[in-house]
Amino acid sequence: MAELVCTMAVAHAPGLTGWLDVAPEAQQKGLRDGYAELGRLLRESKPDVILGFANDHILNLPLDNTPDFCIGTASEWHGPAPWFLDWLNIEPYKVGGNPEVARTIVRELDRRGIAFAFRDDLLFDDNFSVPLTTLTPSYDIPLVPVHMNCIVPPVPSAPRCFDVGAAVAEVVRNALPAELRVALLATGGLSHDPGGPRYFQIDEAFDRWFLGLIENGEAGRALAECTLERLRAAGDGGTPELLAWFVPWGAARGAKARVVCYEPTATMRCGMGGVIWN
Amino acid sequence: MSISDVIRTLPSNRMVFDVRRDMALVRRWKEDLEGLMAEYGLSEEERDAFRREDLKKLADLGVHPYFLTQITRLYHGSARNNQASAAAQAYIRALVEPAK
Repeated sequence: MAELVCTMAVAHAPGLTGWLDVAPEAQQKGLRDGYAELGRLLRESKPDVILGFANDHILNLPLDNTPDFCIGTASEWHGPAPWFLDWLNIEPYKVGGNPEVARTIVRELDRRGIAFAFRDDLLFDDNFSVPLTTLTPSYDIPLVPVHMNCIVPPVPSAPRCFDVGAAVAEVVRNALPAELRVALLATGGLSHDPGGPRYFQIDEAFDRWFLGLIENGEAGRALAECTLERLRAAGDGGTPELLAWFVPWGAARGAKARVVCYEPTATMRCGMGGVIWN
Repeated sequence: MSISDVIRTLPSNRMVFDVRRDMALVRRWKEDLEGLMAEYGLSEEERDAFRREDLKKLADLGVHPYFLTQITRLYHGSARNNQASAAAQAYIRALVEPAK
């Protein structure tokens, strides 16, 4: 029986690695300390593999064929994709994958009525590169990435993502190899709107409301109120990335999480922060 | 301009999707945008919008908003993409200031 040793969600905006220095000093410190703490918690859980869920910024899932979830089956990943190198200010890296874990998840979710697409050629932009370089700078924990469709409607609903998370947790516990230690890491959000009407604004009130729901374990309310419309009102083409956070929240059965950090970083055009479930 | 206004079948969306995935196409964008646009079957309206870097027109035609920011970076570079960057300023000139 494999074990879920860490359940976490973090924002992944490119400003964290690309232009953090233009943020107010206190916000820089808040994020440096916060992401250092999140990284320490993740690494100290000694995962054998990170199962990551993140929005695909229409980099892998084309507009003519956009599955809700697509899992990566490669044995090794290289990032960032070349065009994103200078934007992210992240050196090229490679990180291991785990094809057997990925394929087992596909097979087992099929049996539970959840179809994940799968492929071995996923490219990473900020979605996984920023969390990996900040949380696991040695790139020494293999990653099984799941790219989600959060920004090409129709997208999976929050309840759907929550249910997928619960099913993934069940698969981890019952179908992955005994003794395997799995970390579940969602990345995306918080409020932002790349290219949309609120491109240069964030919605701090929304971010604090959403984090409050997670902190209080108010999953039922979040599932009822975090409609696509509500998420889009806080950032049309970006805030729906928080759908990814419902996956670990579902895996944690709607439990309370600890907000490790939050900063309303308008200079990054994105509210930034991270949470961990016990 | 929102994610629900995206025209998924618009040739421009396929072109931009492919370009960011392939540095050879990024070079084509810089050196032979006309040839690239022809290859992807863009309409004359789309081609004209790219020639004039008309983000507002591209948005109206149904280009995904996420791609608009990346189009500014294809024209103006990606490094240090904060609000003062040439790419962000191009977006502001095209879509923020005229709306005021």
